[in-house]
Amino acid sequence: MAVEAAPQSRGASIEIEHLDKYFGAVRAVDDVSLSIAAGEFIALLGPSGSGKSTILMSLAGFERPTGGRILIDGQDCTYLPPYKRNIGMVFQHYTLFPHLSVMDNVAFPLKMRGISKAERRRQAEAALETVRLAGYGQRMPKQLSGGQQQRVALARAIVYRPRVLLMDEPLSALDKNLREEMQLEIKRLHSELGLTVVFVTHDQSEALTMADRIAILKSGRLQQVSPARELYERPSNLFTASFIGEMNMLPAEWDGRTASLPGGGVMEVGAKSMIDPVGPGKSVLAIRPERLSIAAPDSAGSWPATVCDVIYAGAGTLVIAEMPGGTEVRVRLPSNAVGSLSRGEAIGLTCPPDAALLYSAEQAT
Amino acid sequence: MSAAGFFEADGRRLSRGGIMLLMAPFFALILFAFLYPLLSLISISFLEPAPTLDNYQRVFENPVYARVLMRTLRIAVLVTLLSLALSFPVALAMAHARGPKAVFLAACVLLPFWSSVLVRTAAWAVLLQRNGLINQGLQAIGLTSEPLRLLYTQGAVVIAMTHVLMPFMVLPIYGALRNIPPDYGRAAAICGAGPLRAFWEVTLPIAMPGVIGGSILVFLTALGFFITPALLGSPQEMMIATLISQQMREILDWPFAAALVGVLTLFVTAVTLAFSRVFRFDRMMGGHT
Repeated sequence: MAVEAAPQSRGASIEIEHLDKYFGAVRAVDDVSLSIAAGEFIALLGPSGSGKSTILMSLAGFERPTGGRILIDGQDCTYLPPYKRNIGMVFQHYTLFPHLSVMDNVAFPLKMRGISKAERRRQAEAALETVRLAGYGQRMPKQLSGGQQQRVALARAIVYRPRVLLMDEPLSALDKNLREEMQLEIKRLHSELGLTVVFVTHDQSEALTMADRIAILKSGRLQQVSPARELYERPSNLFTASFIGEMNMLPAEWDGRTASLPGGGVMEVGAKSMIDPVGPGKSVLAIRPERLSIAAPDSAGSWPATVCDVIYAGAGTLVIAEMPGGTEVRVRLPSNAVGSLSRGEAIGLTCPPDAALLYSAEQAT
Repeated sequence: MSAAGFFEADGRRLSRGGIMLLMAPFFALILFAFLYPLLSLISISFLEPAPTLDNYQRVFENPVYARVLMRTLRIAVLVTLLSLALSFPVALAMAHARGPKAVFLAACVLLPFWSSVLVRTAAWAVLLQRNGLINQGLQAIGLTSEPLRLLYTQGAVVIAMTHVLMPFMVLPIYGALRNIPPDYGRAAAICGAGPLRAFWEVTLPIAMPGVIGGSILVFLTALGFFITPALLGSPQEMMIATLISQQMREILDWPFAAALVGVLTLFVTAVTLAFSRVFRFDRMMGGHT
């Protein structure tokens, strides 16, 4: 007997329209618009100060936006107080009420909704079962481990079947193994209950593994909203390109047909390798380290470089090389594909044409 | 003692010897300046003029003294309730204030705390006297036609004692409230609790140790309070501390004064024990563990 999930999706859609939030003169959220589909799992990812938490707090109703609107299932909630929103939320530090037992914590939202004591117990028990903590009801929060406390917090957030679940870095206080276990747990709950989940994190691997789409934020501005694969393979600007995973940023001179690298390397760039059209001039060629390979020096179509360091790390090996002019290039290879390379050795670098993306250099500032 | 003996083997917790060493000056002082004089005083009540219980019999048989005890108890309860009612909002405001506002509020509570009780009591005497500010004010707004007798009343004692003792209530409650992470309030709100409900169901229960701690501090201090009742109270409505002082200094009946001290001590000890059984003293100081 777990929290009964309706067969069809029971999540709510969320529309964030031109959201602005100033703290004094600081613009924490800068004209953010985002449509979240019913039942979607979306992660807000960004460095600290990027505005991701402020957006979440505005969704919860703890921050009053300076401008813009928030619609949940079409209803304007921009200035609705949190206790009227019927949203579930899991906080970073569990925030279980220390004076209440696990059962009373989970039943708390039901008590606030005036549900009878017997019914509260029944539903709280069911929610605890959903997070696999059946039978823990009589304990006090302090008697539970961090992971268990976060499960209780999760049970408390879903017990009243909210249609939206907000999570504010819910796993950052847990150690690595527990974190991975909880990631799967949250994914399972999401698919079982069909809730719309908005998940704030600064851990990109967490965002990439868990979310249907990831919204990247920087200084209050939305940079890109995409599924994990698109985000990694076709980052829409230089910030996203450097923020997600490792990326080589090679300065290049772009003439509209080919990009010339320092040291004489040349690459033909097709329209598919540009997210936005790039005008001729100074540009940046972005290439993932695992898409580069090493060839003999001066072999046809390769770019000259010198090996600076070879770092063996089990399955993979990282080769750090330098192009003429001092640009550092990282190459990640399967360890068995690396021959004998030594420091100072001249090599050639090759890259398949679809592996490079061209950005205008002006964007970099 | 070597440093090694001072700490447990883990190098962090103090060893039993270490704790004893740190506490030794305190215990020596308590023994010398509190327990010894108190016990020798109380022993007088049993031993003079001859080994006897007459002094205690007098305390309990003469209704005058029973009334003094009951009055003392009633005033202490009133002062505790009044200062709780006045202190909680102050503590709440302090716990939520940040920056200069927080410094200002703390100064408002602490500055009077640092000034002498005598000064604060005298200030009330000035305010409450026949031609004092309060009487002038009452007449000016037409509430009364002639000056009221405000000084030398129980009301004056209760008000002034509340004022003097409020910091003892504010500070523990503030400490307890301050320790509550702001996310608890948010968690309560997102669970559907409006501000009042969240306060009642979450903030207040978590702050309860501070409330109990402050109440005990104020109540016990009020029971033995001397200066304020002596200066502002009516001589016909004495509190026990004033009575003890009178017996010692004016009537010079030390054995009987000692018996009153014995009764007060017994009473304070009983209240403390009762509270600590119900509310666990160890959790009270410095909020929840």
